[in-house]
Amino acid sequence: MGAAPPPGATQVLADLPAPPRSPLPPDRRTPLPRRMADAVRLRELAAQRPFQYLEPDASTDAWDAFWARVWRWLRTIFDTPGGRVSGEYAVYAVALATLVFAVLKLLQVDVTGAFGRAGRRGQLAYDTESEDIHAVDFRTRIAEAEADGNLRLATRLGYLEVLKQLTDRGLIDWQPDKTNHTYLAELTAGPLRDAFRGATRQFEYVWYGELRLNADLYEQARAGQRAVAGLLTGARPVAASTPALSA
Amino acid sequence: MENENTLQPAENQVAAPEPSFAPRTDLARLTAQTDAIRQEIGKIIVGQTELLELLLTAVLADGHVLLEGVPGVAKTLMAKLLARTLEVPFSRIQFTPDLMPSDVLGTSVFRQNKADFEFRPGPIFASVVLIDEINRAPAKTQSALFEVMEERTVTQDGTAYPMAEPFLVLATQNPIEQEGTYRLPEAQLDRFLFKLHVGYPTLAEEVQILAGHHAGLGSTHLEAVQPILSAADLQALRKQVRQQRVEAHILEYIAKLVGQTRTHKSLYLGASPRASLALLNGAKALAALRGRDFVTPEDVQFLAPSVLRHRIMLTPEREMEGGTPDEVVKQIMQSIEVPR
Repeated sequence: MGAAPPPGATQVLADLPAPPRSPLPPDRRTPLPRRMADAVRLRELAAQRPFQYLEPDASTDAWDAFWARVWRWLRTIFDTPGGRVSGEYAVYAVALATLVFAVLKLLQVDVTGAFGRAGRRGQLAYDTESEDIHAVDFRTRIAEAEADGNLRLATRLGYLEVLKQLTDRGLIDWQPDKTNHTYLAELTAGPLRDAFRGATRQFEYVWYGELRLNADLYEQARAGQRAVAGLLTGARPVAASTPALSA
Repeated sequence: MENENTLQPAENQVAAPEPSFAPRTDLARLTAQTDAIRQEIGKIIVGQTELLELLLTAVLADGHVLLEGVPGVAKTLMAKLLARTLEVPFSRIQFTPDLMPSDVLGTSVFRQNKADFEFRPGPIFASVVLIDEINRAPAKTQSALFEVMEERTVTQDGTAYPMAEPFLVLATQNPIEQEGTYRLPEAQLDRFLFKLHVGYPTLAEEVQILAGHHAGLGSTHLEAVQPILSAADLQALRKQVRQQRVEAHILEYIAKLVGQTRTHKSLYLGASPRASLALLNGAKALAALRGRDFVTPEDVQFLAPSVLRHRIMLTPEREMEGGTPDEVVKQIMQSIEVPR
């Protein structure tokens, strides 16, 4: 629907020579000379200093020269088709790891537990001079305390020994921040729990209540502790007898 | 950890009572009276046993209490019932946004016939003062309570008016997120011994509430609650509580707990030494309520959230992460070894 051709246009096109029916065939017979660089000349040129582009600057120190070698080595690894693909994957992996780390950090997820056993709270840096109940020689220390007449300390050591025995048998989960009643709640109902309740009560009266102990009360407290130990070993609780005190 | 406590010579034990694994002070009266209060309040309130134990602890420890909870969980009712069990003058102040300090403390009025000013005491002059919805009044009115809550006096025109003993403020508030509430000043929060959360009842408790309400045709018979303790009784019990035994390691434990709040990375403001005193006094009262004449770490741990949660301020970052003061207090307790 364009404008009409100007007059005489048809005439001009008719005067032009007709185009060839098909393009000319390719010239396959004429041999093309293959030009090759002179290898000897190339070696000569490569040996010349102006053409040694990668040579490190003589002014650089040994540290820079080391890193120049490292980068050159890396280039030889990654400057291949396989190396380029590996390099791309490495970049993706680093980006993914950074993203995962950022998300976990924002959500405050503790991932240390995913790789083996999680750290126990008891391994925190506590301010108090705590005793490792697993490292104390209770028998010796209780005997020493009894010999010194320090019955309060002996009762305390006896109670700690009970806690150690319960921990060793997996009946309670020893943590320095837990109270005695927390351990009591961890035990299932039964004779052991009742015995531990009694021993706990006596320990609390002695240690927190600063009860002045006489030989009878001390024997009661130790008997309570032995009752727990007896139930743990399956043996019957033995009546306490302390030669040092009965004298 | 090793204290010397050797066996005493026989001649020194003649006058002393026979030692035994039992309280050395007679707590029978205290136990009987507090049990009676529990029973009286239990006539109206269903459940909330832990809250009631903490309230009684505060009453025995001579401390003010801030009760926080959403509307409708019986905060005001609990405070009113507790006040009813104490046979002492009671007043109630409804805090509103337009309340003035003089509406609380009182004001001097000019007497034309004598040509002088006379002080008219405000509603704060009572032994048990229930301040309902305390955080609906602005900071100006709140600051009027500073002196009376701590020093137990009201100074007006240069004259100090002492409060009668006992003096106990029971305040209720809605959570700060609620419409029309103000944040209480830190200085005032520090004057409350406990801040207690009043939560929703359990399903069984709510069914019991409905059944009781239905049987009583919708009325709450406050008059059914009888007074148990007179002012003199309460003073005697408080004296007994003050004499509770506290072992040296427990004091150190309390100081460490409170001290940690001052260096904790999640806290912008730690607790003051007043918090340490509150924890000590509260633990002594709780031990007495539980039938012991000495404090254990259990008492301290039980009270620590109630004593500390309103005295510490989270850092903005921790707050934005959704942290709560109770979580931080729990973390602190987990980081300190129980004296044993």
